[in-house]
Amino acid sequence: MEKKTLRIDYLSRVEGEAGVYAEISADRVKVELRVFEAPRFFESFLRGRSHQDIVDFTARICGICPVAYQMSAVHSIEKIFGIEIDGRIRQLRRLFYAAEWIESHSLHVYLLQGPDFYGAGSAWENRAYLPFAKRGLAFKKLGNSLMAMIGARPVHPVSARVGGFYKTPRKKHLTALLSELERAYEQSLSAISWAAGLPFNSALSGDSAAWDFEYISLRHPNEYPMNEGRVVSNKGLDESMDSFAGITKEYQTEYSNTLHSNIQRDGEKTSYLVGPLARINLNSGLLPSEIINAMKESGVAIPIKNVEMGIIARSVEIAYAFHEAIRIIKGYEEAGPDAACDFKTRSGTATWITEAPRGMLIHHYTLDDGGHVENCVIIPPTAQNAAHIERSLHNYLRRNAEKSLESLEKGCEKIIRSYDPCISCSVHLVKM
Amino acid sequence: MKKPTTGIFKFTSCDGCQLSMLNLEDDILRLTELTEIAYFREGEDNPLVGHLDLAVIEGSISTESQKKKITDIRERSRHLITIGACATAGGVQALRNWADFDAFKKIVYPKPDYIDALPASTPVSEHVHVDYELWGCPIDTLELSEVLTSFLIGKRPGIPAHSLCMECKGKGIACVLVSREEPCLGPVTRSGCGVLCPSLNRACYGCFGPMEGANIETLSGIFERFGYSADECRMMLDKMNTYAFRKERTEKS
Ligand code: SF4
Ligand code: SF4
Repeated sequence: MEKKTLRIDYLSRVEGEAGVYAEISADRVKVELRVFEAPRFFESFLRGRSHQDIVDFTARICGICPVAYQMSAVHSIEKIFGIEIDGRIRQLRRLFYAAEWIESHSLHVYLLQGPDFYGAGSAWENRAYLPFAKRGLAFKKLGNSLMAMIGARPVHPVSARVGGFYKTPRKKHLTALLSELERAYEQSLSAISWAAGLPFNSALSGDSAAWDFEYISLRHPNEYPMNEGRVVSNKGLDESMDSFAGITKEYQTEYSNTLHSNIQRDGEKTSYLVGPLARINLNSGLLPSEIINAMKESGVAIPIKNVEMGIIARSVEIAYAFHEAIRIIKGYEEAGPDAACDFKTRSGTATWITEAPRGMLIHHYTLDDGGHVENCVIIPPTAQNAAHIERSLHNYLRRNAEKSLESLEKGCEKIIRSYDPCISCSVHLVKM
Repeated sequence: MKKPTTGIFKFTSCDGCQLSMLNLEDDILRLTELTEIAYFREGEDNPLVGHLDLAVIEGSISTESQKKKITDIRERSRHLITIGACATAGGVQALRNWADFDAFKKIVYPKPDYIDALPASTPVSEHVHVDYELWGCPIDTLELSEVLTSFLIGKRPGIPAHSLCMECKGKGIACVLVSREEPCLGPVTRSGCGVLCPSLNRACYGCFGPMEGANIETLSGIFERFGYSADECRMMLDKMNTYAFRKERTEKS
């Protein structure tokens, strides 16, 4: 077999700017996920800024998951300041996060990855796909309305602050969304069987059954993880947020503006997967029985190891987020003037991790007495997945080396898209 | 009649403004009736070919290759508009313009030499002619809808140019600056967001950028009387629109 060179200059239907370069020969495959998205140097200009600036600035790393950045930020800072938040604030933050999961997952499931299963190049090119595009837009719109009700707007909402919120929504306004949320929840339940029935291509999975990789997410004893928990994996990892940060190692490659991340244990480096698949595999027992039944009826078996099936995990999480939103709104108590607690700034260092739609988002800060940033590290989910994506591409190319370049390119694009990479996020990482 | 063609392009940004475009939801189907989306990398697979009637730009210019790309897009397009603080004012990443760039790179990357990045992040208008600039981090979807529709049917967009403060007073919201003595940038910030922060009892932090002819010195004077240092006042302006606020300030003085 002659050596082939595969080049994708600019991936489409992926958030951000990246391409792929691969050399394929009979006995060797070399593959690079090339991120050329321009870096923005957030960790550098955050130095010296106030704790509220952290919340407002880091949101601007990603327009699709600003709440995730705001949540990892406020929790890290609250840990440093020694703040215990009110139970009502805790619930409202969970609602805020659920709204973002709905918005982000619907975008990916229906507008970005979905068209791949219908041979379409976009969500609007193919008439047969239109009903799904519309369902996705309707879900997304509802997620956005909920985000706007809590944060005044869906992209870079302005209500989150250390200690709580600037202002919390009225119960009657949230309740007004209930009937629409209930309808959407019903639809999202049946969407689980739609997702499970999509034509998955076993060639793309890189023989996932045999690939015994590690997946990692937060785990909380009594709820599906969002803002709190320990870091666990299918390989027995069980760490606090701080100790987990201690075993991740970032490294830079010549071809990418994304730093890659590995975990290091007993001198051994492993790539790993974060995100909806990892979450559902490690926490499915905490899903409501209605959703578990919908999964069973659709033949969804846990664990799912084929990354292309991330669309099933996202569809399940959309249903869960609607379910959670309805539950929280029904039990919602207005915090009134206690929207944020009083606190004093103090110096310290802390790590906090929350579950962004795409997986664990790690923030680490050292603040001075006045609460200004001395040092910070941000590790977004896509940087953690980058090494895993490359291994997946590698497995696929090795097993399908004889196929035409055109079909390999399509295959690589689909594999990458199924991770829902967020390239804008991924170019933010810090020197250790 | 052939529909006008539109291309949507990303430079250095967070994608939030493009996403606001998708957040037009109901309007987006109406827009696709007015125009043919000829290029939108994040939404569809089509490559860029030929000429465009309208180029919509998100993101600032911050690498050598982006300078070439923006020139190419301008040459292909009858009209070019920028959306958001990044494209219109350099974005929050323009904070690096005032720092020692080599040190900045080293904080983030162990091997800074691999990175293609210019020492400054600049607005698109510093590189090519821009027909219309829409402000905001992110832009407001209603304003976006107005601007797109106007360009597609060939009229001037009707976006008001007054301050956020005026709009806030018009809405009868309790003044954050006077009654709470909070450092609100409303008096020097462009309207357009719908007065979001003050309606949450929060001081505006200027994400829609400076209003034309903004009197920044007077406002900073008030903040200093509230007890904020000159350094703190400067940091309040050095955010998503730092480049534009500094420019407005130096042009005035
Ligand atoms: S202006 Fe703000 S919202 Fe728009 S792309 Fe830039 S950072 Fe994102
Ligand atoms: S009030 Fe100011 S900071 Fe808040 S959203 Fe509006 S322009 Fe942006």
